[in-house]
Amino acid sequence: MTAPVLRARGVRIRHDGSERSTPDGVGLEVRLGEVVLVLGPSGSGKSTLALALNGLVPHAVPATLEGSITVDGVETATTTVAELSRRVSMVFQDPDAQIVTGTLLDEVCFGPENLLVPVGEVLARAEAALRQVGLWERRGENPDRLSGGGRQRLAIACALALDSPVMVLDEPTANLDPVGIDEVYAVLERLVQTGEHALVLVEHNLDAAIGLVDRVVVIDREGRPAFDGPARSVLRDNVETLVEMGVWLPSAMLAGRRLRVAGHPVPELPLTPAELTALLDALVPPESVGGADTADRNVGVAPAESAVSVRGLRVVKGRSEILHGVDLEIERGAFVAIVGTNGAGKTTLLQSIAGVAAPPRGTVEVLGIDPARVDVRRLARTVGFVFQNPEHQFIRGTVADELAHGLELQKAEPAEIERQVGRMLERFGLTAQRDAHPFLLSGGQKRRLSVGTALIAGAPVLALDEPTFGQDRERAAELLDILSALNAAGTTVLVVTHDLQLVADHASHVLVLDAGRMAAYDRTEVVLASGALEAAGLAPPPLVRAFRAAADPAWHALTRLADLDPAALPSSPPTPSVPSWSHPPTAPSFASGTTSPRRSDATTPSPSPSPPRAEEAP
Amino acid sequence: MSAAAVTRARREPVAPYADAPDHGPLRFLHRLNPLAKIAAPLPAIVALIVSRDIAVPLAFILIALVLLLVGAHLSGRALLGLFVVLPVAAAVLAVSFGLWTDASRVDTTPVLFQLGDYRFYLGSLLVGTATSLRLVAILVLSLVAGLTSSGPDLVRALVQQLRVPYRVGYTALAAYRFVPRFGHELEVIRQAHRVRGMAAGRGPVAAVRRWLGYVVPLLAGGIRHAERVALAMDSRAFGAHPTRTERHLVPFRVRDGVFVIVFWLVTALVVAAGILRPFPFLEAP
Repeated sequence: MTAPVLRARGVRIRHDGSERSTPDGVGLEVRLGEVVLVLGPSGSGKSTLALALNGLVPHAVPATLEGSITVDGVETATTTVAELSRRVSMVFQDPDAQIVTGTLLDEVCFGPENLLVPVGEVLARAEAALRQVGLWERRGENPDRLSGGGRQRLAIACALALDSPVMVLDEPTANLDPVGIDEVYAVLERLVQTGEHALVLVEHNLDAAIGLVDRVVVIDREGRPAFDGPARSVLRDNVETLVEMGVWLPSAMLAGRRLRVAGHPVPELPLTPAELTALLDALVPPESVGGADTADRNVGVAPAESAVSVRGLRVVKGRSEILHGVDLEIERGAFVAIVGTNGAGKTTLLQSIAGVAAPPRGTVEVLGIDPARVDVRRLARTVGFVFQNPEHQFIRGTVADELAHGLELQKAEPAEIERQVGRMLERFGLTAQRDAHPFLLSGGQKRRLSVGTALIAGAPVLALDEPTFGQDRERAAELLDILSALNAAGTTVLVVTHDLQLVADHASHVLVLDAGRMAAYDRTEVVLASGALEAAGLAPPPLVRAFRAAADPAWHALTRLADLDPAALPSSPPTPSVPSWSHPPTAPSFASGTTSPRRSDATTPSPSPSPPRAEEAP
Repeated sequence: MSAAAVTRARREPVAPYADAPDHGPLRFLHRLNPLAKIAAPLPAIVALIVSRDIAVPLAFILIALVLLLVGAHLSGRALLGLFVVLPVAAAVLAVSFGLWTDASRVDTTPVLFQLGDYRFYLGSLLVGTATSLRLVAILVLSLVAGLTSSGPDLVRALVQQLRVPYRVGYTALAAYRFVPRFGHELEVIRQAHRVRGMAAGRGPVAAVRRWLGYVVPLLAGGIRHAERVALAMDSRAFGAHPTRTERHLVPFRVRDGVFVIVFWLVTALVVAAGILRPFPFLEAP
């Protein structure tokens, strides 16, 4: 066995101004040709560890580093980041934040040029790197014209051009749609096959990554090392501990675990969809799966009251028509996921329904009002809109004022405002933060506050634009639990999202948009089974793929983890003893030191439990 | 020429910070060093700041327009701006400045129109025209470089000829990428605030309050983005050495020198003619 090219021992990192060290005593060894995955709940210090591997911690990020990290025999603590860049290259989460020049070729040349590599070799390296990620033909273009997946492939090419043995990827697919994720992993797979690189991967999307990973290093919530070993055995042997820690696991594995709980013989937990399919083929299929869904389809029964109705909606932006006549009827109490490829018109449709961008008059009706004709006050009472970035919608100086704003707009009595704000703070676990500035909250708290502000005026319809985009899975799950609880209490929820597994697990209905037209709208299981996703250029979520590939058609109707749980009713809230998509309440992760760490967040109950009552506007 | 240069020539200019496209020998301005195109009109711009008549700015406007028409590959929008928007703006400015002039200094000239007690003299119009033409001339002279140089080439020239540290130049270039991003973000923030009912209220006070509300989220997002970009640039050895490899040389050639000297000579001629005043009818009082 070759000597490790990267070796970390007893790494403790304390951000300036922080009390505790995360990570705290973590070790790591990576050899050429190996892929090491760093796993852990948010706040465990995975990204901080990644930044330390190329010396950004402590050289560029104010933090104290203890322990030792050596790359290629060089100690990171005493070597400059620039010098280390010959040995370790980085790929970050946000593709936009890694681009500095005007063309793909200039971009890839940027690193070697900084290292004073001669022109001929710069060009040779750039060509090799761009060819490796499949972008050489587009070298003259502006990076802005690439898709998200394309820009992240470009970032990988830039890392390759540095010719370093180690590449560290910090959540490289968190900002990408499913197509982009597949693109990036196809590139990484080819890269690993060359055997010339050692990869360190921080990633929540294990469904995509697991096929690639050789070893797993798990960090626990306190930043302490928990497990280190071959990927398969670490995940399989410690699955209960990992679930308890709040670590995300491949959905095939969670499905296998469910099957085991349900009494099926599962000798070895599956890790990939293909393994799950193989397992299913060895099992006796259940008699009743899928049958229940068709029974409670209320189409054709008494037509439910409609919350949103859209008639011939056409929206023109600039010179191009984005939506070409959408007709839609959303019943009250539905949880609708709007999906589609980039540019399909998802956000435009949602904004038209919520009145964020006024639709043509008479085309949209939300609970009896036309968003194009009513004032902000009336609109806020009817439909709440949650923007992708919560910070965008904060307009007041404290959390309490932020919540009160919506009620002040409705001219509510001060005592009533006080009461409602108090209740909302409690419901979303923000009571301790009531006088904090909204911008100083942790990421999860900001998201909860933004949902609270959208709801406080009593809006029975909630619209969210990609609320899980760029967030780690844990926060995404927390938000979806909130939404499910609200939905269970009667709120109609509309979500634009890329995350199809979330769709499958939470949404009652799916709306598929394809190039500005509605390709499908029906109950989730019907849409997932219909092939409408594939027709619109979307890949079905991994579980659906695995179930559908099974030999016995009895499995084909299954779409979500909950379907595997004979005891679980669709409406029963998931509990920690029967973990599904919900994870224990978690500590916030601190994005680049902009928030003050508050342990209190970890102890607040997940904001879902108390079933929210419908808020009456005064 | 390298393969990259061939691709560049084939491609549409997609962004202001992409490489300068080459439009053939006739469109010679694109082939000049950006510094030459800045240095050449500089004395003329200084002369315009101190000049007071109409002939000198008019002459410089004509020279710059001819230069651009011949030597630059102009887009439809640029042509529209130069030959429609600019004359209209110049006329509006001329009248507006005319209204501002001290009527007691020009009350010997014919009255053009009268509104109640107010008389608008020909002299006022001439003074206004002179001021407006001076501004337009300075603008058009700057466009000689502005419409024919690319951001990266200017930065390269600054680094290569003027020895500006590349860290400054390339950081500015990277920052330029922030502009469209901020524009988009601002649009989203405005939407979000409007939906939350911040748009209430008219008038300047409400407008200022509204804009202050946009600043905080915009700055928060901007600082975070800048931090990320900085980390990404550090990771790629930015600033590792006092110099960096330059794939594109932007040399200062003989033709650049010739362009500058010829332009300076023409400038001197125009200014001299202006002082000798061969066309007294074009003089502002």
